[in-house]
Amino acid sequence: MDKSEIKTIVERVTAQILKVDPKEITPTANFSFDLGADSMQSIELIAAFEEEFDIQMDEQKAREVQTVEGAVEFIAGYLK
Amino acid sequence: MSETSALPAKDLEHVFYPQSVAVLGTNRVVGTVPHDIFANILKDNFQGIVYPVSPKERSVAGVRAYKYVLDIPDPVDLAILVFPSTVCNLALEQCGQKGVKSAIIISAGFREIGAAGLKREEEIKAIAKKYNISFIGPNCLGVINTDPRSHLNASFARKMPEEGNIAFLSQSGALCTAVLDYAQAKHIGFSKFVSFGNKANINEIDLMRYLKNDPKTKVILVYLEEITDGIALMNAAREIISESGKPVLVLKSGRTREGAAAAASHTGSLAGSDEVCDAAFRQAGIIRCSTIEEMFHNAIALAYQPLPRGKRVAIITNAGGPGVLATDAAIKQNLDLAKFSDATLEIYKKSLPATANIKNPVDVIGDARADRYKVALGAALQDPGVDGVLVILTPQSMTDIENIAEEVCNTVGKFDKPAYASFMGEKDVAAGIDILQQRSIPHYILPESMCKAFASALFFKHHREMESEEVLRFPGIDKEKARGVLQRALAAGRNYLPEEESVRILEAYGLPTLPSGLATSRLEAISIAERIGFPVVMKVDSDDIVHKFDIKGVLVDIRTADAAGAGYDAILHNVEMAKPRARIKGIYVQKMVTSGEEVILGVKRDSSFGAVIMFGLGGLFVEVFRDVSFRVAPVGPRSASEMVREIRAYSMLAGARGKKPRDIRSVEECIQRLSALAVDFPEIKELDINPLIVNDEGGGCFVADARIML
Repeated sequence: MDKSEIKTIVERVTAQILKVDPKEITPTANFSFDLGADSMQSIELIAAFEEEFDIQMDEQKAREVQTVEGAVEFIAGYLK
Repeated sequence: MSETSALPAKDLEHVFYPQSVAVLGTNRVVGTVPHDIFANILKDNFQGIVYPVSPKERSVAGVRAYKYVLDIPDPVDLAILVFPSTVCNLALEQCGQKGVKSAIIISAGFREIGAAGLKREEEIKAIAKKYNISFIGPNCLGVINTDPRSHLNASFARKMPEEGNIAFLSQSGALCTAVLDYAQAKHIGFSKFVSFGNKANINEIDLMRYLKNDPKTKVILVYLEEITDGIALMNAAREIISESGKPVLVLKSGRTREGAAAAASHTGSLAGSDEVCDAAFRQAGIIRCSTIEEMFHNAIALAYQPLPRGKRVAIITNAGGPGVLATDAAIKQNLDLAKFSDATLEIYKKSLPATANIKNPVDVIGDARADRYKVALGAALQDPGVDGVLVILTPQSMTDIENIAEEVCNTVGKFDKPAYASFMGEKDVAAGIDILQQRSIPHYILPESMCKAFASALFFKHHREMESEEVLRFPGIDKEKARGVLQRALAAGRNYLPEEESVRILEAYGLPTLPSGLATSRLEAISIAERIGFPVVMKVDSDDIVHKFDIKGVLVDIRTADAAGAGYDAILHNVEMAKPRARIKGIYVQKMVTSGEEVILGVKRDSSFGAVIMFGLGGLFVEVFRDVSFRVAPVGPRSASEMVREIRAYSMLAGARGKKPRDIRSVEECIQRLSALAVDFPEIKELDINPLIVNDEGGGCFVADARIML
């Protein structure tokens, strides 16, 4: 799976979980500061990404990822 | 050096009296901190404008929300951050760009969680510095200002407290909610209520200084878990007391002896952080409280009533037993039972039943109703020999509790003297207590607490009236000589100065030392002893031996030349047996003082308060009873005098059991000279003069042994 495909899925999942307008989801958007994710939603996002990409992420490291483009890079690392 | 004083003045006016507030990171989820903070500001009738800032909500509680603080079209005075800690930096950066100068960072997840949090805290501190933002927190409950001009509840406390004249500052947020609940039940109101959390920017000192000038605050309460800068805290308290006359009460948790056990000197082991804290607070006029309850017991006495002019109390009771308990408690707190004037006794004779006890404590008898309390209380408050009245009530079947409470309130309000009450019991007296509390009569369930609060108010009154103390400068101090000895030791990598060097430093500061000399041979020991005159004391001098007595490195009462020679050999032998690797400089021969009282003087460097001076009587009094007094340096003549007089064994020096009084003035001077040394040389970590031998009055005192740790 290439990064543009990952990006499309990340944007879709983020819009679903955070209930935000997909137009708001720019590559540099911060999940908490720009998209309003609270701590529970951050965990839900991680779980949703794991399910969607069928991967098991290091939760501690995953929680340090703050932006959409950061999430794409992080997930890509698991799909190599 | 206090960090506070190095920074520009912080903007607290906008923290308490903002015209506009933005809550950054709020949401619509009722029962969460981000939502409830915004909701509290709205529901508690804030007098300014409040803006919700929420990345994805169009509105919160019906108020139009903004995605970023930068989107708000008007100026923002105060930003309240409730974002997750990971993005508080981004939020604060935008606040800076917006020109916001004050903030409250509620979010947790900073220094308190470890390295990652500490990094985040440093980051927000740097942003605040860059934009000159003053902020409270992070990791706090928030701020409440009950002043109707602002009426700001920027906290996630369940309720806004009543308006009052007590300010409460707390390092613990959780404690705040408990305190609010406790206070509400007792009708205790607050002027300002602040949870300052990690105090990464605005700290307790800044807040105390702000409250000094706050016209709504009469009493300042502080709960601390750590004292970062003890000297700054003492200075702030002194400034508040002298400039505004407001009392400062501090509840400092963590009263343990940790750390003291590892100290190398007597002073170090006796001066635990808690003992030092006690002494420092007393010195600065801070009323230290052990519990939240004690803090509020004292606070209501100070906030509701005038200060007592003196310690003469009248006790008015309808029951004998509680009257006796109150009398015992009053005496224990060093209060006196007032002696009534003839006029007062005349009123009592005329107005109280023949069976009533009209002497202090006044027993108005179990069947007393409000009229009898009114007469007894009014006459006592009017009596010029009475400084304050303690009213006690127990609920009998004929006691009209509420009427008595009303009458107490009415009568007390007519006089400029304090009166406190103890309506003993719980259920039957509840309505009466409620009346007292609503009308600002300090109430205590137990007479003992009432007397303790009266004594605290009196302590504060005395302290407030004291002139600030001038520290004496002694002529002839040879600072350079002392510096030379210390620098040579430090250059050699030594952290212990044996007696001979310690004595030279003390001599340089004018402390009286005994004739002595260091012998490096048997013959030299005899020669020194003959020169200074018998009897002498001989002691091993070695950087490697701190406790000379323990290894038989000391011989006393050497009266002949032969004994001096034999003593020299014996000490070398003893040391060889016990510490074969010790490097011996020689044997220190010193004139022996055969009479006098042994006392101990010491210095300890405390991590919060700096140099601390200790005084106590020698031997058992120090070792077993820990009968010592402390003061934070510099110590002036009044403090030195207090130090000597406040130990329990003071009478031993003052001339107990027909003994002549000792030369206390010379001890006081030694304390002050030692304080000067400790202030001049921060490299002295611990110092013991043990013993200092004090002769009879006029005979001076002498340093008989000393050691310094660097």
